Amino acid sequence: MSLLAPILIVPLSAGLLCLLVRSRRAMQGLNVLAFAATLVLGVCLILEVLARDEVNEWNAFFRADALSAFMVLLISVVSLATSLYAGRYFQRDLAANVVTTGRVREFFVLTPLFAAGMFLVVLANNLGVMWAAVEGTALTSVLLVALYNRRTSLEAAWKYVMLGGLGLALALFGTVLLYAAASKDQTERLPSFNWSHLMSVAHELDPRLVKLAFAFALVGYGTKAGLAPMHTWLPDAHSEAPSPTSAMLSGVSLKIALYALLRFHILTTACVDSAFSRHLLLGFGLFSMFLAAPFILVQRNLKRMLAYSSLEHVGLICVGIAMNTSVTIFGALLHMGYHALTKPVLFFAAGNIHQTFHTLEFRLIGSGVVKVLPVTVLLMGLAAMAAAGLPPFGLFFSELTVISGGIAAGKVAVSVLVLVALIACFCGILQQLTRILLGARQRERTSDARPTDGLAAMALLLGALLVFSVWLPGPLLELMRQAAGIIGGKP
Amino acid sequence: MNLLSTIEISSQLVTLMAALMLVVQLLMVVQRMLFTNIRLFAIQSLLLAGIATVVAYAHHAGHVYIVAVLTFIGKVLFLPWLLNRLVRRIQIHQEIEPLLNAPASMLVCGGLTLLGYVVARPFTSLERLGNNTLAVAITLLLTGFFLMINRRKAITQVLALLTIENGVMLAAVALTSYGMPLVVELGIFFDVMVAVMVLGILVYRIRESFASMDTSKLNQLKG
Repeated sequence: MSLLAPILIVPLSAGLLCLLVRSRRAMQGLNVLAFAATLVLGVCLILEVLARDEVNEWNAFFRADALSAFMVLLISVVSLATSLYAGRYFQRDLAANVVTTGRVREFFVLTPLFAAGMFLVVLANNLGVMWAAVEGTALTSVLLVALYNRRTSLEAAWKYVMLGGLGLALALFGTVLLYAAASKDQTERLPSFNWSHLMSVAHELDPRLVKLAFAFALVGYGTKAGLAPMHTWLPDAHSEAPSPTSAMLSGVSLKIALYALLRFHILTTACVDSAFSRHLLLGFGLFSMFLAAPFILVQRNLKRMLAYSSLEHVGLICVGIAMNTSVTIFGALLHMGYHALTKPVLFFAAGNIHQTFHTLEFRLIGSGVVKVLPVTVLLMGLAAMAAAGLPPFGLFFSELTVISGGIAAGKVAVSVLVLVALIACFCGILQQLTRILLGARQRERTSDARPTDGLAAMALLLGALLVFSVWLPGPLLELMRQAAGIIGGKP
Repeated sequence: MNLLSTIEISSQLVTLMAALMLVVQLLMVVQRMLFTNIRLFAIQSLLLAGIATVVAYAHHAGHVYIVAVLTFIGKVLFLPWLLNRLVRRIQIHQEIEPLLNAPASMLVCGGLTLLGYVVARPFTSLERLGNNTLAVAITLLLTGFFLMINRRKAITQVLALLTIENGVMLAAVALTSYGMPLVVELGIFFDVMVAVMVLGILVYRIRESFASMDTSKLNQLKG
């Protein structure tokens, strides 16, 4: 029974089928069905990985270990919620005449392809194929960012594709250098570029070349992961894309690029046997966190603020991994999962607000949104508390895990810096959001929103977040332990 | 002809063609006509295909021939045709206004070439065929960045991205005995083709809503 190929084929075929079906409902139904299926497959994959450590298919073209299985789960959950939310969202967009039916079809065709690209990134055994898949996700998501065809969205898409293209060219150069290192002094004609093979010969590779390859991969994949200072496309793309796409970008796409970078990091650590790659990750991670904080505080646009918040979370994940103790890496993985459940909710709510008030500027939205969209504001408030790191939500625990793990490992200075950045972002998010969500209503609303809009998607993610915050099922916990072990370099 | 001399001749051929790739790149930096620039890119890709052919012949590596053929069809014929068609359809001025003038650009690129050679020096032992191919690859990368910053027109930025990609592919052919595995080469090729089509769509839409292709007008999103 093969698992890995269907995880790719299901969304791919769903996307292509959307080219043929007529009605918007059918397209959304196809999307939801496809992602529900991948979610089931993802759960099966987790059980399979726990039973066998790693799953290989198609002559080892596909490979999944604990880390890949964890990522598959995240991609499926976020994509499912996105497709649940997208139907009603575009129905309102069509009613308001901001999109054409052709563009909506484009969304339902490209989104599953985008997801399939992400699945291929985490399931590819060959690092070159992994690169090609990352490029594939970039190309499908560019058209999604440009969907509205406004001047600003074209500008955002152009910046995204140019910076992304540059970054990926550098990442490809890193990939080539790594292959050159792997094929040095090889007797066979074409040495394998498979992950499993590379790890087995890691200690024999030329350390200088591997270091150079990692430096290129860091700048390249770091651009796609939105690490500062290569993050400049991120707030633009997130604010101009349709809200469902923003949720996908923030929720999983950034982490997929981070996953690609982590593969290089694991290999470099195994080869060089020094803290070279960890120091670099730590520097970029901290810089991202500290750059995000002031931008959140002064931001005037709702979705741009959420994008900067994602930058901070990605930075924290990098720092947790760079501190390299089993506790901090586990905390970073927890954070990855919880953030994937939290951030899309905020973007869905922002989409509702956007369509109700036809603006994302805080000043124009005004205060007292709670009087107009009570359900949306309730869910958004909960998600905002989670994103800011308040208990009982999981992000509080994962942040605490990273910090306490850092202190326990004697990295007090870094832990304190992380804490400072987190507190600054916490203040920023809550201050900005309470300003618009609560208080008395001053402005007239401009269109009607049904209170249940997007409720299913938001409730699904928030429910999962609450449940997993207080209780992690045994298999999932075990899977994350194994994934943390892989990142930490345990054989 | 014995094997040794075949390797020697191949090595010299690769060195020569890599150097010519660099010359073409520098011509692109100073050339101001858009159509000529597209043609120069085609010539550069032809040289890359030539290098791949020589490497395939010298190492008897069958699948590198496929890479050469793909490069020829994709980057020498198809992409230049596509870009020419795009330029004609959106009817722009065929002059490119660079930020830095030709002499200054030449100076900058001279510096970048030096930098490329300095960075590549510790790794010269890795090269299988030809001398300084890695240095040329890194230089193509750096001058590609410069081209991208120095030109404001969207299409020229696409061309700059493509020359960077040429540099990376040169490294892939020069640093490894037999090139990358075929599945990777196919993936890269497919991605580049799709990328240019997507970029073409975007350029077309930018041109429609801004009535120009000048990317310095894309400046509304800040902070």
